[in-house]
Amino acid sequence: MNDQQLIAQLKRRDRNALKDVYRGYKSEFFRFASRYTKADDTLEDIFQDAIIALYENALAGKLDHLNGSLKTYLFSTGKFMLFKKFRDTKEIATEETYVFDQKEKAVIDDVYEDEGPSEYQKKMVENFKKLGDKCREILELFYLQGLKLEEIMSVQGYDNKNVVKSQKSRCLKSLKELIQRNDG
Amino acid sequence: MDKHELINGYFEGSLSENQLEELARLLKTDTAFATDFEFQKELQRSLKKEERQEIKAMFAGLNIEATTAKTRVVRMRPWLIAASFALLIALGSWLLFFNNTDLNTDQLYAANFAPYENVVHPIERGEQLKDLKTRAFTAYEDQDYMLALKLFEELQIQQGDPYIDFYEAVVLMQLNRHQEAASILETYIKNDGQLKDRARWYLALSYLKLRAITKSEDQLQKLIDRNGFKQEAAKELLKKLD
Repeated sequence: MNDQQLIAQLKRRDRNALKDVYRGYKSEFFRFASRYTKADDTLEDIFQDAIIALYENALAGKLDHLNGSLKTYLFSTGKFMLFKKFRDTKEIATEETYVFDQKEKAVIDDVYEDEGPSEYQKKMVENFKKLGDKCREILELFYLQGLKLEEIMSVQGYDNKNVVKSQKSRCLKSLKELIQRNDG
Repeated sequence: MDKHELINGYFEGSLSENQLEELARLLKTDTAFATDFEFQKELQRSLKKEERQEIKAMFAGLNIEATTAKTRVVRMRPWLIAASFALLIALGSWLLFFNNTDLNTDQLYAANFAPYENVVHPIERGEQLKDLKTRAFTAYEDQDYMLALKLFEELQIQQGDPYIDFYEAVVLMQLNRHQEAASILETYIKNDGQLKDRARWYLALSYLKLRAITKSEDQLQKLIDRNGFKQEAAKELLKKLD
Protein backbone atom coordinates (compact mmCIF):
# COMPACT_ATOMS: atom_id res chain seq x y z
CA MET A 1 0.00 0.00 0.00
CA ASN A 2 1.56 3.32 -0.95
CA ASP A 3 1.11 6.61 0.87
CA GLN A 4 -1.38 8.05 -1.62
CA GLN A 5 -3.68 5.07 -1.26
CA LEU A 6 -3.44 5.19 2.53
CA ILE A 7 -4.25 8.89 2.59
CA ALA A 8 -7.23 8.34 0.29
CA GLN A 9 -8.46 5.59 2.63
CA LEU A 10 -7.97 7.79 5.68
CA LYS A 11 -10.03 10.50 4.03
CA ARG A 12 -12.86 8.02 3.57
CA ARG A 13 -12.62 7.36 7.31
CA ASP A 14 -11.60 3.79 6.62
CA ARG A 15 -10.59 2.20 9.92
CA ASN A 16 -8.31 -0.32 8.24
CA ALA A 17 -6.04 2.46 7.07
CA LEU A 18 -5.65 3.57 10.70
CA LYS A 19 -4.80 0.01 11.70
CA ASP A 20 -2.24 -0.21 8.90
CA VAL A 21 -0.54 2.98 10.06
CA TYR A 22 -0.58 1.77 13.66
CA ARG A 23 0.88 -1.65 12.90
CA GLY A 24 3.24 -0.38 10.24
CA TYR A 25 5.04 2.28 12.26
CA LYS A 26 4.66 1.34 15.90
CA SER A 27 8.02 -0.28 16.62
CA GLU A 28 9.93 2.25 14.55
CA PHE A 29 8.16 5.13 16.27
CA PHE A 30 8.92 3.67 19.70
CA ARG A 31 12.59 3.38 18.82
CA PHE A 32 12.60 6.92 17.46
CA ALA A 33 10.76 8.40 20.45
CA SER A 34 12.62 6.47 23.13
CA ARG A 35 15.24 9.23 22.95
CA TYR A 36 12.78 11.35 24.88
CA THR A 37 11.32 8.86 27.30
CA LYS A 38 11.49 5.18 28.05
CA ALA A 39 8.01 5.05 29.57
CA ASP A 40 5.98 2.72 27.38
CA ASP A 41 2.59 4.16 28.29
CA THR A 42 3.73 7.68 27.43
CA LEU A 43 5.08 6.48 24.09
CA GLU A 44 1.86 4.61 23.42
CA ASP A 45 -0.26 7.69 24.19
CA ILE A 46 1.81 9.94 21.99
CA PHE A 47 1.93 7.45 19.15
CA GLN A 48 -1.87 7.08 19.20
CA ASP A 49 -2.40 10.84 19.41
CA ALA A 50 0.01 11.39 16.54
CA ILE A 51 -1.94 9.00 14.31
CA ILE A 52 -5.21 10.68 15.23
CA ALA A 53 -3.78 14.13 14.46
CA LEU A 54 -2.44 12.81 11.16
CA TYR A 55 -5.87 11.38 10.41
CA GLU A 56 -7.69 14.62 11.19
CA ASN A 57 -5.25 16.64 9.14
CA ALA A 58 -5.74 14.20 6.27
CA LEU A 59 -9.51 14.76 6.55
CA ALA A 60 -8.88 18.50 6.41
CA GLY A 61 -7.08 17.95 3.11
CA LYS A 62 -3.66 18.84 4.50
CA LEU A 63 -2.05 15.70 3.13
CA ASP A 64 -3.46 16.02 -0.36
CA HIS A 65 -0.25 17.41 -1.78
CA LEU A 66 2.16 15.93 0.69
CA ASN A 67 5.81 16.80 0.18
CA GLY A 68 7.67 13.82 1.53
CA SER A 69 6.31 10.65 3.06
CA LEU A 70 3.42 9.86 5.35
CA LYS A 71 5.97 8.46 7.78
CA THR A 72 7.79 11.80 7.97
CA TYR A 73 4.49 13.54 8.59
CA LEU A 74 3.55 11.08 11.34
CA PHE A 75 6.90 11.21 13.07
CA SER A 76 7.04 15.01 12.88
CA THR A 77 3.60 15.13 14.47
CA GLY A 78 4.81 12.84 17.23
CA LYS A 79 7.92 14.93 17.71
CA PHE A 80 5.84 18.08 17.98
CA MET A 81 3.88 16.43 20.79
CA LEU A 82 7.02 15.15 22.50
CA PHE A 83 8.33 18.71 22.62
CA LYS A 84 5.13 19.86 24.23
CA LYS A 85 5.48 17.16 26.83
CA PHE A 86 9.18 17.53 27.53
CA ARG A 87 9.60 21.24 27.08
CA ASP A 88 13.10 21.37 28.48
CA THR A 89 14.55 18.73 26.18
CA LYS A 90 16.92 19.93 23.53
CA GLU A 91 15.92 19.26 20.00
CA ILE A 92 17.72 16.36 18.47
CA ALA A 93 18.34 16.77 14.79
CA THR A 94 16.58 14.14 12.76
CA GLU A 95 15.45 13.81 9.23
CA GLU A 96 11.90 13.62 10.55
CA THR A 97 10.98 17.21 10.09
CA TYR A 98 7.95 18.67 8.48
CA VAL A 99 6.89 22.29 8.66
CA PHE A 100 3.25 22.52 9.77
CA ASP A 101 1.04 25.51 9.07
CA GLN A 102 -1.07 27.18 11.78
CA LYS A 103 -4.15 25.05 11.15
CA GLU A 104 -2.21 21.81 11.26
CA LYS A 105 -0.60 22.88 14.52
CA ALA A 106 -4.01 23.75 15.93
CA VAL A 107 -5.21 20.21 15.13
CA ILE A 108 -2.14 18.66 16.75
CA ASP A 109 -2.58 20.81 19.86
CA ASP A 110 -6.24 19.97 20.04
CA VAL A 111 -5.65 16.22 19.88
CA TYR A 112 -2.78 16.41 22.33
CA GLU A 113 -4.79 18.43 24.84
CA ASP A 114 -8.01 16.45 24.49
CA GLU A 115 -8.96 15.14 27.90
CA GLY A 116 -12.14 13.44 26.82
CA PRO A 117 -15.67 14.73 26.37
CA SER A 118 -17.46 16.94 28.88
CA GLU A 119 -20.81 15.86 30.32
CA TYR A 120 -22.61 18.05 27.82
CA GLN A 121 -20.61 16.62 24.93
CA LYS A 122 -21.41 13.08 26.05
CA LYS A 123 -25.08 13.97 26.13
CA MET A 124 -24.81 15.46 22.68
CA VAL A 125 -23.29 12.28 21.23
CA GLU A 126 -25.83 10.14 23.03
CA ASN A 127 -28.67 12.06 21.42
CA PHE A 128 -26.89 12.20 18.08
CA LYS A 129 -26.97 8.41 18.03
CA LYS A 130 -30.74 8.52 18.35
CA LEU A 131 -31.09 10.40 15.07
CA GLY A 132 -32.05 8.52 11.92
CA ASP A 133 -29.37 7.07 9.62
CA LYS A 134 -29.75 9.81 7.05
CA CYS A 135 -29.27 12.58 9.57
CA ARG A 136 -26.28 10.93 11.15
CA GLU A 137 -24.69 10.43 7.79
CA ILE A 138 -25.16 13.98 6.60
CA LEU A 139 -23.92 15.49 9.87
CA GLU A 140 -20.89 13.19 10.02
CA LEU A 141 -19.98 13.94 6.44
CA PHE A 142 -20.16 17.64 7.14
CA TYR A 143 -18.67 18.01 10.63
CA LEU A 144 -16.33 15.03 10.81
CA GLN A 145 -15.29 14.17 7.31
CA GLY A 146 -15.19 17.86 6.38
CA LEU A 147 -17.08 17.57 3.10
CA LYS A 148 -18.64 20.68 1.61
CA LEU A 149 -22.42 20.74 1.11
CA GLU A 150 -21.84 20.48 -2.60
CA GLU A 151 -19.72 17.36 -2.18
CA ILE A 152 -22.36 15.82 0.08
CA MET A 153 -24.87 16.55 -2.63
CA SER A 154 -23.00 14.38 -5.12
CA VAL A 155 -22.11 11.68 -2.55
CA GLN A 156 -25.75 11.27 -1.57
CA GLY A 157 -27.04 11.66 -5.10
CA TYR A 158 -29.07 14.86 -4.74
CA ASP A 159 -29.22 17.25 -7.62
CA ASN A 160 -29.73 20.42 -5.67
CA LYS A 161 -27.48 21.83 -2.99
CA ASN A 162 -30.46 23.45 -1.24
CA VAL A 163 -31.96 20.05 -0.53
CA VAL A 164 -28.82 19.10 1.39
CA LYS A 165 -28.79 22.45 3.13
CA SER A 166 -32.33 22.21 4.40
CA GLN A 167 -31.93 18.55 5.29
CA LYS A 168 -28.94 19.46 7.42
CA SER A 169 -30.90 22.24 9.15
CA ARG A 170 -33.74 19.85 9.89
CA CYS A 171 -31.32 17.33 11.38
CA LEU A 172 -29.76 19.96 13.62
CA LYS A 173 -33.19 20.99 14.74
CA SER A 174 -34.14 17.40 15.63
CA LEU A 175 -30.93 17.05 17.58
CA LYS A 176 -31.64 20.21 19.56
CA GLU A 177 -35.11 18.98 20.33
CA LEU A 178 -33.85 15.61 21.48
CA ILE A 179 -31.37 17.24 23.82
CA GLN A 180 -33.99 19.57 25.25
CA ARG A 181 -36.51 16.80 25.70
CA ASN A 182 -34.04 14.66 27.59
CA ASP A 183 -33.08 17.63 29.71
CA GLY A 184 -36.48 18.11 31.22
CA MET B 1 -24.87 35.73 1.88
CA ASP B 2 -27.43 34.79 4.50
CA LYS B 3 -26.53 33.87 8.06
CA HIS B 4 -26.87 30.11 7.52
CA GLU B 5 -24.54 30.23 4.58
CA LEU B 6 -22.05 32.16 6.62
CA ILE B 7 -21.96 29.41 9.24
CA ASN B 8 -21.80 26.65 6.61
CA GLY B 9 -19.01 28.51 4.87
CA TYR B 10 -17.10 28.69 8.13
CA PHE B 11 -17.20 24.90 8.54
CA GLU B 12 -16.32 24.40 4.89
CA GLY B 13 -13.36 26.71 5.31
CA SER B 14 -14.43 28.74 2.32
CA LEU B 15 -15.02 32.20 3.82
CA SER B 16 -13.12 35.25 2.59
CA GLU B 17 -11.45 37.74 4.93
CA ASN B 18 -14.48 40.03 4.74
CA GLN B 19 -16.91 37.24 5.44
CA LEU B 20 -14.87 36.12 8.44
CA GLU B 21 -15.06 39.65 9.82
CA GLU B 22 -18.80 39.67 9.25
CA LEU B 23 -19.04 36.35 11.14
CA ALA B 24 -17.04 37.75 14.06
CA ARG B 25 -19.25 40.83 14.16
CA LEU B 26 -22.46 38.80 14.20
CA LEU B 27 -21.12 36.56 16.96
CA LYS B 28 -20.79 39.63 19.14
CA THR B 29 -24.04 41.35 18.24
CA ASP B 30 -26.57 38.66 17.33
CA THR B 31 -27.28 36.29 20.23
CA ALA B 32 -29.43 33.86 18.25
CA PHE B 33 -26.74 33.62 15.61
CA ALA B 34 -24.05 33.07 18.23
CA THR B 35 -26.09 30.30 19.91
CA ASP B 36 -26.68 28.56 16.62
CA PHE B 37 -23.02 28.79 15.67
CA GLU B 38 -21.83 27.60 19.08
CA PHE B 39 -24.21 24.63 18.96
CA GLN B 40 -22.73 23.43 15.67
CA LYS B 41 -19.20 24.00 16.90
CA GLU B 42 -19.96 21.97 20.01
CA LEU B 43 -21.48 19.20 17.90
CA GLN B 44 -18.32 19.05 15.84
CA ARG B 45 -16.14 18.91 18.95
CA SER B 46 -18.33 16.22 20.49
CA LEU B 47 -18.26 14.05 17.39
CA LYS B 48 -14.50 14.41 17.09
CA LYS B 49 -13.88 13.47 20.69
CA GLU B 50 -16.18 10.49 20.35
CA GLU B 51 -14.36 9.34 17.25
CA ARG B 52 -10.96 9.75 18.91
CA GLN B 53 -12.08 7.55 21.76
CA GLU B 54 -13.34 4.93 19.34
CA ILE B 55 -10.03 4.92 17.51
CA LYS B 56 -8.09 4.58 20.75
CA ALA B 57 -10.28 1.67 21.81
CA MET B 58 -9.55 0.06 18.47
CA PHE B 59 -5.80 0.51 18.97
CA ALA B 60 -6.08 -0.98 22.46
CA GLY B 61 -7.73 -4.00 20.83
CA LEU B 62 -4.76 -4.39 18.50
CA ASN B 63 -2.48 -4.32 21.53
CA ILE B 64 -4.34 -7.15 23.23
CA GLU B 65 -3.73 -9.29 20.14
CA ALA B 66 -0.06 -8.37 20.26
CA THR B 67 0.40 -9.06 24.00
CA THR B 68 -1.25 -12.44 23.71
CA ALA B 69 1.36 -13.33 21.12
CA LYS B 70 4.09 -11.99 23.40
CA THR B 71 2.94 -14.04 26.40
CA ARG B 72 3.37 -17.16 24.37
CA VAL B 73 7.03 -16.35 23.74
CA VAL B 74 7.72 -15.51 27.36
CA ARG B 75 6.02 -18.61 28.67
CA MET B 76 8.06 -20.73 26.30
CA ARG B 77 11.32 -19.73 27.86
CA PRO B 78 11.25 -22.04 30.91
CA TRP B 79 10.81 -24.88 28.50
CA LEU B 80 13.77 -23.69 26.46
CA ILE B 81 15.86 -23.46 29.62
CA ALA B 82 14.81 -26.95 30.59
CA ALA B 83 15.69 -28.15 27.13
CA SER B 84 19.16 -26.60 27.30
CA PHE B 85 19.65 -28.16 30.68
CA ALA B 86 18.72 -31.54 29.30
CA LEU B 87 21.16 -30.82 26.55
CA LEU B 88 24.02 -30.33 29.00
CA ILE B 89 23.28 -33.53 30.84
CA ALA B 90 22.54 -35.62 27.84
CA LEU B 91 25.57 -34.29 25.95
CA GLY B 92 26.02 -36.60 23.04
CA SER B 93 22.44 -37.76 22.93
CA TRP B 94 21.54 -34.20 21.87
CA LEU B 95 20.80 -35.01 18.28
CA LEU B 96 18.93 -38.11 19.21
CA PHE B 97 16.76 -36.14 21.58
CA PHE B 98 15.57 -33.69 18.98
CA ASN B 99 15.53 -36.00 16.02
CA ASN B 100 13.40 -38.41 17.93
CA THR B 101 10.53 -39.13 15.60
CA ASP B 102 8.27 -40.32 18.40
CA LEU B 103 5.77 -37.62 18.90
CA ASN B 104 6.20 -36.07 22.30
CA THR B 105 2.80 -34.56 22.89
CA ASP B 106 3.63 -33.44 26.42
CA GLN B 107 6.51 -31.43 25.13
CA LEU B 108 4.43 -29.86 22.38
CA TYR B 109 1.75 -29.06 24.91
CA ALA B 110 4.22 -27.41 27.26
CA ALA B 111 5.67 -25.40 24.41
CA ASN B 112 2.31 -24.09 23.34
CA PHE B 113 0.17 -23.71 26.41
CA ALA B 114 -0.14 -20.39 28.17
CA PRO B 115 -3.22 -19.49 30.21
CA TYR B 116 -5.48 -17.12 28.35
CA GLU B 117 -5.27 -13.53 29.45
CA ASN B 118 -8.06 -12.10 31.53
CA VAL B 119 -9.65 -9.82 28.97
CA VAL B 120 -13.19 -9.79 30.27
CA HIS B 121 -12.81 -8.39 33.73
CA PRO B 122 -9.88 -6.00 34.18
CA ILE B 123 -8.78 -5.90 37.80
CA GLU B 124 -7.52 -2.86 39.61
CA ARG B 125 -5.45 -4.06 42.52
CA GLY B 126 -6.48 -2.72 45.90
CA GLU B 127 -10.11 -2.46 45.00
CA GLN B 128 -12.14 -2.18 48.16
CA LEU B 129 -15.25 -3.95 47.14
CA LYS B 130 -14.37 -7.41 46.00
CA ASP B 131 -17.27 -9.09 44.32
CA LEU B 132 -17.23 -12.72 43.33
CA LYS B 133 -16.19 -12.00 39.76
CA THR B 134 -13.26 -9.87 40.86
CA ARG B 135 -12.13 -12.50 43.35
CA ALA B 136 -12.38 -15.21 40.70
CA PHE B 137 -10.33 -13.32 38.13
CA THR B 138 -7.83 -12.19 40.76
CA ALA B 139 -7.23 -15.83 41.69
CA TYR B 140 -6.92 -16.61 37.99
CA GLU B 141 -4.36 -13.88 37.40
CA ASP B 142 -2.47 -14.90 40.54
CA GLN B 143 -2.35 -18.45 39.18
CA ASP B 144 -4.13 -19.83 42.24
CA TYR B 145 -6.04 -22.27 40.06
CA MET B 146 -7.66 -24.36 42.80
CA LEU B 147 -9.28 -21.26 44.23
CA ALA B 148 -10.07 -19.90 40.78
CA LEU B 149 -11.87 -23.11 39.86
CA LYS B 150 -14.01 -22.98 42.99
CA LEU B 151 -14.90 -19.33 42.39
CA PHE B 152 -15.62 -19.78 38.69
CA GLU B 153 -17.96 -22.64 39.51
CA GLU B 154 -19.79 -20.45 42.01
CA LEU B 155 -19.89 -17.59 39.54
CA GLN B 156 -21.30 -19.86 36.86
CA ILE B 157 -24.19 -20.79 39.15
CA GLN B 158 -24.88 -17.14 39.97
CA GLN B 159 -24.41 -15.54 36.56
CA GLY B 160 -24.19 -18.22 33.92
CA ASP B 161 -22.20 -16.20 31.40
CA PRO B 162 -20.69 -18.43 28.70
CA TYR B 163 -17.23 -16.86 28.93
CA ILE B 164 -16.94 -18.10 32.53
CA ASP B 165 -17.01 -21.61 31.06
CA PHE B 166 -14.13 -20.71 28.84
CA TYR B 167 -11.97 -19.50 31.73
CA GLU B 168 -13.02 -22.45 33.84
CA ALA B 169 -11.78 -24.77 31.10
CA VAL B 170 -8.40 -23.05 31.01
CA VAL B 171 -8.19 -23.46 34.78
CA LEU B 172 -9.01 -27.16 34.49
CA MET B 173 -6.22 -27.52 31.95
CA GLN B 174 -3.81 -25.97 34.43
CA LEU B 175 -4.95 -28.53 36.97
CA ASN B 176 -4.32 -31.27 34.44
CA ARG B 177 -8.00 -32.21 34.22
CA HIS B 178 -8.16 -32.32 30.45
CA GLN B 179 -11.15 -34.58 30.01
CA GLU B 180 -13.37 -32.10 31.84
CA ALA B 181 -11.77 -29.13 30.12
CA ALA B 182 -12.30 -30.63 26.68
CA SER B 183 -15.94 -31.36 27.33
CA ILE B 184 -16.60 -27.79 28.52
CA LEU B 185 -14.78 -26.35 25.52
CA GLU B 186 -16.68 -28.59 23.09
CA THR B 187 -19.98 -27.29 24.45
CA TYR B 188 -18.71 -23.73 24.46
CA ILE B 189 -17.76 -23.96 20.78
CA LYS B 190 -21.03 -25.64 19.88
CA ASN B 191 -22.91 -22.78 21.50
CA ASP B 192 -20.95 -20.30 19.43
CA GLY B 193 -19.28 -18.54 22.37
CA GLN B 194 -17.63 -15.21 21.76
CA LEU B 195 -14.13 -16.52 22.36
CA LYS B 196 -14.72 -19.49 20.07
CA ASP B 197 -11.43 -19.25 18.20
CA ARG B 198 -9.57 -19.09 21.48
CA ALA B 199 -11.52 -22.08 22.70
CA ARG B 200 -10.51 -24.08 19.63
CA TRP B 201 -6.86 -23.46 20.35
CA TYR B 202 -7.18 -24.65 23.92
CA LEU B 203 -9.30 -27.60 22.91
CA ALA B 204 -6.62 -28.63 20.42
CA LEU B 205 -4.06 -28.55 23.24
CA SER B 206 -6.26 -30.54 25.60
CA TYR B 207 -6.78 -33.18 22.92
CA LEU B 208 -3.04 -33.29 22.55
CA LYS B 209 -2.70 -34.15 26.22
CA LEU B 210 -5.44 -36.75 25.85
CA ARG B 211 -3.48 -38.23 22.92
CA ALA B 212 -6.43 -37.58 20.62
CA ILE B 213 -4.16 -36.43 17.81
CA THR B 214 -6.69 -36.52 14.97
CA LYS B 215 -9.18 -34.46 16.96
CA SER B 216 -6.45 -32.02 17.83
CA GLU B 217 -5.42 -31.69 14.19
CA ASP B 218 -9.02 -31.15 13.26
CA GLN B 219 -9.37 -28.19 15.65
CA LEU B 220 -6.07 -26.70 14.49
CA GLN B 221 -7.18 -26.94 10.87
CA LYS B 222 -10.44 -25.14 11.70
CA LEU B 223 -8.45 -22.43 13.44
CA ILE B 224 -6.19 -22.03 10.41
CA ASP B 225 -9.21 -21.80 8.12
CA ARG B 226 -10.50 -18.92 10.22
CA ASN B 227 -7.26 -17.09 9.54
CA GLY B 228 -7.22 -15.28 12.86
CA PHE B 229 -6.21 -16.13 16.39
CA LYS B 230 -3.00 -18.20 16.80
CA GLN B 231 -2.71 -18.54 13.08
CA GLU B 232 1.04 -19.11 12.95
CA ALA B 233 1.22 -21.19 16.13
CA ALA B 234 -1.54 -23.47 14.83
CA LYS B 235 0.24 -24.00 11.51
CA GLU B 236 3.50 -24.70 13.30
CA LEU B 237 1.92 -27.18 15.68
CA LEU B 238 -0.02 -28.92 12.93
CA LYS B 239 3.20 -29.36 10.98
CA LYS B 240 4.84 -31.01 13.97
CA LEU B 241 1.89 -33.34 14.48
CA ASP B 242 1.95 -34.48 10.86
